[in-house]
Amino acid sequence: MSLAPGATTPRRAVQWRPSLRISSGDLPLLMAYVYVVAMVVAVLIISPALLDGPGAIGANFSLVVPLAAVCFGQTLVMLTRGIDLSVGGVISAGSALLATHLNAQGWAFVPELLAIVVLGGLIGCLNGMIIAYTSIQPFIVTLATWSIWDGVAFGVLPVEGGKVSPTLINATSGNIVGLPKSVWIVALLLLVWRWIRSTRFLDDLVAIGSDETRARLLGVRIPRRKVQAYAASGLLAALAALWVTGQTQSGSPDGGDQFILASVAAVVIGGTNIFGGKGSAASSTMGAIAFLLIPILVFALNLTSFWGIFFQGLILIIAVTFNSLIQARSRG
Amino acid sequence: MIESVADTLRKHRSIVLAFALAIVLFLIGTVQASGFASYDHIRTVLITASFIGLVGVGQTFCMLTGGIDLSIPSNLAGAAVLTAFLANGSSAPLIWIIPMVIGFGMVIGLINGLGVAYAGVPPIIMTLGMNSAIQGLLLIYTHGGLASSAPAGLVNFVDGDTLGLSTMLLIWVLVALVATVVLSLSTFGRKLYSVGTNASAARLAGVNVKRVLVIPYVVSGAGAAVTGVLLLGYLGQAFITMGDTYLFSSAVAVAVGGASILGGKGHYIGTVAGAIILALITANLNLISLGESAIDIAYGVILLVTVYLATLRLRGANRWPRALRRGPGPNQTAVEASHGDPE
Repeated sequence: MSLAPGATTPRRAVQWRPSLRISSGDLPLLMAYVYVVAMVVAVLIISPALLDGPGAIGANFSLVVPLAAVCFGQTLVMLTRGIDLSVGGVISAGSALLATHLNAQGWAFVPELLAIVVLGGLIGCLNGMIIAYTSIQPFIVTLATWSIWDGVAFGVLPVEGGKVSPTLINATSGNIVGLPKSVWIVALLLLVWRWIRSTRFLDDLVAIGSDETRARLLGVRIPRRKVQAYAASGLLAALAALWVTGQTQSGSPDGGDQFILASVAAVVIGGTNIFGGKGSAASSTMGAIAFLLIPILVFALNLTSFWGIFFQGLILIIAVTFNSLIQARSRG
Repeated sequence: MIESVADTLRKHRSIVLAFALAIVLFLIGTVQASGFASYDHIRTVLITASFIGLVGVGQTFCMLTGGIDLSIPSNLAGAAVLTAFLANGSSAPLIWIIPMVIGFGMVIGLINGLGVAYAGVPPIIMTLGMNSAIQGLLLIYTHGGLASSAPAGLVNFVDGDTLGLSTMLLIWVLVALVATVVLSLSTFGRKLYSVGTNASAARLAGVNVKRVLVIPYVVSGAGAAVTGVLLLGYLGQAFITMGDTYLFSSAVAVAVGGASILGGKGHYIGTVAGAIILALITANLNLISLGESAIDIAYGVILLVTVYLATLRLRGANRWPRALRRGPGPNQTAVEASHGDPE
């Protein structure tokens, strides 16, 4: 045969070609890395001590932990074409409870810690059940439960403060094997993502987000999977509440609200498709790091810290517009 | 004649139900406290409702197209803060400040609308980002959100009476009339319903869907700015968080008023009822000395329940007694919906 060698294996050629060429649909998933690298380089040039000074890594990563946890859940939910706005309420309510009722010391704190995590999971379950079994859209359901849990938080702890268990404070600070605990937790979350990525659970979420009707025909148990996704989001928000409360050493009845914009922004910066079916918690973690680098860069540039809030909103608008335009193009 | 009245009531039953609920809430309050039904208290409740109602215009328009505007809080606070700062206590410059501030609100709404309509960004994410961006700008402008007081002229205007009635309420009535005319009688209103019901069908019918989708956000931006200026006069001062409660209340008022969150159904008259209901709930909760936290919880529960009932109504539209149905078709409601009639 006088044909070129490539022609004899057309199937393989078709199989590996997409992985070499970055399709425009995959571009959003890479943008988070671009943002992070660009901002890290910028900060390192202007004011390196903010990133490599003593204790800087621990301090910076301690902010990444709660956001990465919330983003993990938000990514799972967004894979199903949903959104979870109630994470703000869950974190506020969790923080309020931890600063008032659940602040035992020593081993007695363990059941209380479990109670908070289970509570978060149950709250998520409730969101998921309403979303799965009625035809109310996710953003309305979680907007309503956000308001409800915010109300609960204010009822439990009307003003910032309260008394946080020293056990929790100790548990959320310090090092393990020379590295800050925060770094380990982020690494752990990434490992969990690596595992979840290969499970049937994630395949089902992707199937639901890509085409719910087709997923149903393929036999995906849609209600159960949705409940699981929202339950995971609630549970991770509760974990974030534990970390934030321990770190700040006080409860805050509205401290969770900032995580709504932050988690949605980080997930969108991470390139997860807001129309469902495509996304990665690892990219969302990168998105979270990018989101949290903004105030650092603002500080490095010697601007008022409020510019950070402006740019955080702006980057969400830019990233989401960019992603939407790319999605519109790849859909034709 | 009688039939047509019954017919109108049937067609707008969710709005009728909303007003009925408002009356029930009013009666509950009246039974509980003697001063509840006094002229002054009713006036206060209605003025509280009027602010929800004014931001509710834009939110109704947005929700009719299946969207939502979450940038209302900082847009509202922005207008108030900007007005207070620029006026700096004197009332004369308000003549140019107020139009300018409303213009700003419209520009913000325009950016929201362009993102939603032309870039295909989900409204909730677009407006959430916008809310934060404006909040950041406000904090920069005010050096951390310091409160500033309103010019006396504005306070007198908002608190005062015109023709023996509260000026605030007259403004609301006027706005409600305009919104009703736009929704029920104008071509734009028909287009809005048709886009909300079925965008592809609207496109095939020759509606410029994208252009129609931009308008609700511009209206919402203008409405939030107007409300911000008036609220500045009512509260006497401007502060960064003054718009926060209107995030929930505007959305809940629209939902309680019977608009479908899926778009295409609802009317501003329903939002008026919704705003009055929310103000009455707040007044009732204050009676039994439950504050902020109970109101938040109540808003959330009401939002869930009303939207749930609305989805049931969509599904079970044919379950209504035959006597209440006009004509032979069991699919009456569906046909009406596709013609873009207000529910």
